Amino acid sequence: MKKNTLFITLLLLISTFAFAQEDSTGVKVKDKPVRSPFESGYLIDAQTTVIPNAHTLEFVIQHKFGSVENGHSDLWGIYAAGSNIRLGLNYVPVKNFQIGLGMTKKNMAVDANAKWTIFEQTRKNTRPIAVALFGNVAFDGRNETAFESGMVRIASDKLPVHFRFNDRVSYFSELIIGRKFNDWLSLQAGLSFTHYNAIGVVYDHDKVGVHFNGRLKVSPQGSIIFNYDNPLKIKKISEQLEWTNHPKPNVSFGYEISTSTHAFQIYVSATNSILPQDNMMWNQNDFFAGKYAIGFNITRLWGF
Amino acid sequence: MKRGLINLLGGIGMMAIAVVLFAFVAPQDQKVGAAWKIPAEYKTMKNPQKATPDLLNVGKMAYAKSCKSCHGGAGLGDGAKASSMKTKINSFKDAKFQAQTDGEIYFQSFIGRDDMPNFEKKIPELEDRWAIVNYIRTLK
Repeated sequence: MKKNTLFITLLLLISTFAFAQEDSTGVKVKDKPVRSPFESGYLIDAQTTVIPNAHTLEFVIQHKFGSVENGHSDLWGIYAAGSNIRLGLNYVPVKNFQIGLGMTKKNMAVDANAKWTIFEQTRKNTRPIAVALFGNVAFDGRNETAFESGMVRIASDKLPVHFRFNDRVSYFSELIIGRKFNDWLSLQAGLSFTHYNAIGVVYDHDKVGVHFNGRLKVSPQGSIIFNYDNPLKIKKISEQLEWTNHPKPNVSFGYEISTSTHAFQIYVSATNSILPQDNMMWNQNDFFAGKYAIGFNITRLWGF
Repeated sequence: MKRGLINLLGGIGMMAIAVVLFAFVAPQDQKVGAAWKIPAEYKTMKNPQKATPDLLNVGKMAYAKSCKSCHGGAGLGDGAKASSMKTKINSFKDAKFQAQTDGEIYFQSFIGRDDMPNFEKKIPELEDRWAIVNYIRTLK
């Protein structure tokens, strides 16, 4: 299955390079990227194909309150336990390539990430879509005792083995394809691969997921936004006989307000995780059963 | 009970001190900006972009994101942040402002000075900058 996933990823990449960049007379057309397909590199729990201008520093605050399921007794999750927060810094050293670091409350995680917008959609449609690659590696920073008393199991081993540093590591990689259809509608689809080096015996190390998200601009600064992440049930990469702990899709929607240097998003989301690999691996909340939390993202840009 | 009362009075005392200190740092009165010194090259600079409906829409979007918070939605200088500026923001409806050349408005808008920051990095595309100049023209 890993081979298949790699093949699909490569096929998508190659096909995107095949779009014509010449007009019918064979003359090269100078075409500029479309303006702001999204207002930020973040869209609720997802990444967009957007990367700020080169030499821009971005500070990101991502926060989720507890679940709303207890209603007014804990003010729809605002006073509830189980809140989560991530503080991140991203920098764009060269055009369309971004590197970042972040710290997340859940699992005391530290993550390093990179995003490359391979190409942007252009105004005259010589490139009708934008394509980006996003990769993230996260380190679980909890004490060893959090990992089955310092012991972990590896699928190939019958007995638990001593905990190693590598067992803290998880990965998420995603191919994102987006299109700005007009001034008010932009949509994206993505294909992702998540891997945890160490995981409980009733879970899988790998997950392949599909993603769909977008924005509906309702004013020059305001947009309705949504995101859907679906971890796929692929038997070939599963280590389990039954789908007892398969993660549920992450459904979320909200509202975004943006300025030239800020994006503010307030939303409801099924998962209480923030890191994408956590979203794909651990979410057991069913949005349609009323299990979701209020959250917000704030991004701030500084140009150098 | 006594400790709670002390904490409460302490809190009120700290807030009172903060209010007094803020009174010294918050702008008490806004000054009227001095006349702009605009280089000759900007005074005679030609606007290469026609005010087409599409480009005016681009200008409107960019104005909302980058200018509205200070200059206000209608360009009256009454945006949410206007009162925190040291310099009074003039209205774009002012005949004197609109009598300037496009190049002069470009210089004031994107090169800037003092409270009016440089916007060249935030709006890197020339076409978008001129789109904003064209949109500001519609606010008269």
